[in-house]
Amino acid sequence: MAARTPSVTRRARRPARPRGRRAAAKAATRERITAAALHLFASKGFDATTTRAIAVRARVAEGTVFNYFATKEDIALHFFEQEVDSAIAAVRRNARLRKAPLEEKLFALIQSQIEYLTPYENFIGAAFVQALRPSSTLAFSLRAFALRARYLAFVQELIQESLPRHGANAMAWAAPQAFWIYYLGMLLYWLHDQSPGKQNTLAFLDRSLALGVRMLRKGTLG
Amino acid sequence: MTRRDGPVRRALRMAAMGAGVTGSYLGYMAQSAFLSGDQRAVRLKRAHTRAARRMSDELQALRGPAMKLGQALSLQHGVLPDEMLAELATLQMRAPGMHPALVRAQFTGSMGREPEQVFRSFETTPFAAASLGQVHRATLKNGEPAAVKIQYPGIRDAIKNDFTWFRAISKPAQLSRHLPPDVMDELEAQILAECDYEREAKNIAFFRKGLAPLPFVELPVAHRAYSTDRVLTMSMVRGAHLDDFLARRPSQALRDRVGERLFELFYFQILELHALHADPHWGNYLFGSDGTIGLVDFGCVKYFQAPFVANMRKVFLYAGSRESAHFRQILEERYATSGTRLSRAAVRALARISVEFYGRVYPADPATDGIPFDFADDAVIRDYLRESTRVGRARATLPEYVFLGRAESGLYQTLHRLRARVHTSAIVRKYLR
Repeated sequence: MAARTPSVTRRARRPARPRGRRAAAKAATRERITAAALHLFASKGFDATTTRAIAVRARVAEGTVFNYFATKEDIALHFFEQEVDSAIAAVRRNARLRKAPLEEKLFALIQSQIEYLTPYENFIGAAFVQALRPSSTLAFSLRAFALRARYLAFVQELIQESLPRHGANAMAWAAPQAFWIYYLGMLLYWLHDQSPGKQNTLAFLDRSLALGVRMLRKGTLG
Repeated sequence: MTRRDGPVRRALRMAAMGAGVTGSYLGYMAQSAFLSGDQRAVRLKRAHTRAARRMSDELQALRGPAMKLGQALSLQHGVLPDEMLAELATLQMRAPGMHPALVRAQFTGSMGREPEQVFRSFETTPFAAASLGQVHRATLKNGEPAAVKIQYPGIRDAIKNDFTWFRAISKPAQLSRHLPPDVMDELEAQILAECDYEREAKNIAFFRKGLAPLPFVELPVAHRAYSTDRVLTMSMVRGAHLDDFLARRPSQALRDRVGERLFELFYFQILELHALHADPHWGNYLFGSDGTIGLVDFGCVKYFQAPFVANMRKVFLYAGSRESAHFRQILEERYATSGTRLSRAAVRALARISVEFYGRVYPADPATDGIPFDFADDAVIRDYLRESTRVGRARATLPEYVFLGRAESGLYQTLHRLRARVHTSAIVRKYLR
């Protein structure tokens, strides 16, 4: 692609800074703030972490933090958005998974999420507690609803491409919502899993997904 | 794909099985007070069959480690009633299959790196089922082909849970001493040990060194750098499984040679190594067209204490009367080490197996050493099962017998399928010297 040549006058007034680079710098700052916040959420707890502390750790001015995020919860939401996007992208990228059975696709999706969350395990526990509060924007804001909807739309997409004739049964209608509850339960199991390499979570995921998909195929709980 | 259940369902199934099995016995106990001796025997047989069918059905549905337990129990002739054995023997041992995404997650979680980063190539589809896992082909970075055994996740905890349940549901058999608690402990310890692939790598190293004097045996090399407690990378061992080997219609001479070698391998392990590859699963032996024997899967290995082996040496090819006071004294010495007092019935059963089975298959007279024993005879397996069942019934089971009996039974069955003629006593005598 040919680069756009900026006009001479404009260049004279403002030093050269291609738009791509500026965007990249903004993204880098956003990630630096997010990483700093996640570190502090995990070590000090969500409530005890101040925006000032986040700014110090991210080496930016406190006002800069507010340029990017209105609240601490926005930072956390940003992290979860990235986590979901990266897991969806990982499943889409994997050509072999396209022909895999549904339980394997769902396993791969959750496994990608867990891999993303693993370095921030302490924070995830804190986020759970935070999300339970009625005033929490982490669980009850429009942005949070949009994120959940995007995630569940992808789950629905996976179900439909694997079980095209499932539309008639009631189980399939409720499947994405049921999957959301299952996913939250699975995260709690993962947080409490003390087995080496959290392998009990893998076994739990494998067996429960096989059972769930079997129920979905049959259209009954039996 | 095998049928799989979640943990809750699994627990419910186990509980239902326990209730069903215990119910079968409770029914029998309630009735037995009002029945004659003959009627009682008939009713007990029915209770065993009902309980066994229930166990078999439920274990079949559970798969995984419970199957392993079922299979191990099915090899304990005499520990469980015949009716139960017949049902349990129908179980095929296999852990739940793992799809490629799970294989990758388990491998990466254990090794800290993706299979493609560790190996030049890695096949995500397994080429063999292993005890409690599956085996994948791979190529090392140096181009050498390898077999990578990957364990089903969380199997250790699942086995512990299965044993907790099994101890609860097998109370009747424990109270009657048909399934002594120390035998249960031995089973649990061995099956749990099979879950530790680092231990298995050590076993391989031990056996590679120990079996070096037998040039016809081939063992894999464990690549410790690419192994963990849940992943075991080994070199490939050549040879065909027994079915494929037999399908090529090997000559009688070749079958005899392989039979003699298998037999020698068994006694060399007990008498020289004091350790035994105790998983007689046919998939664990690979037969070469030149008569070599490849041995794989060293998860189930039994190490014997020196006094136990010393006692076995006295019993093997015992020249005097097996009903004599001296023979009885040797047997009592063996049992005394585990604090067991032999009942009169137990001594009778042990003397009987020594005369009826061992005396026939292993004649003590050196003059007959030149005559091979023909394992093609159907009676061999039948007699062994009948007599070892009597030993179990007489409550003369020692923890050492659990895996020794399993391996011995596997040996006879393989020799029978090979229809091999073996110089049994001559081979044992060689190692008694």
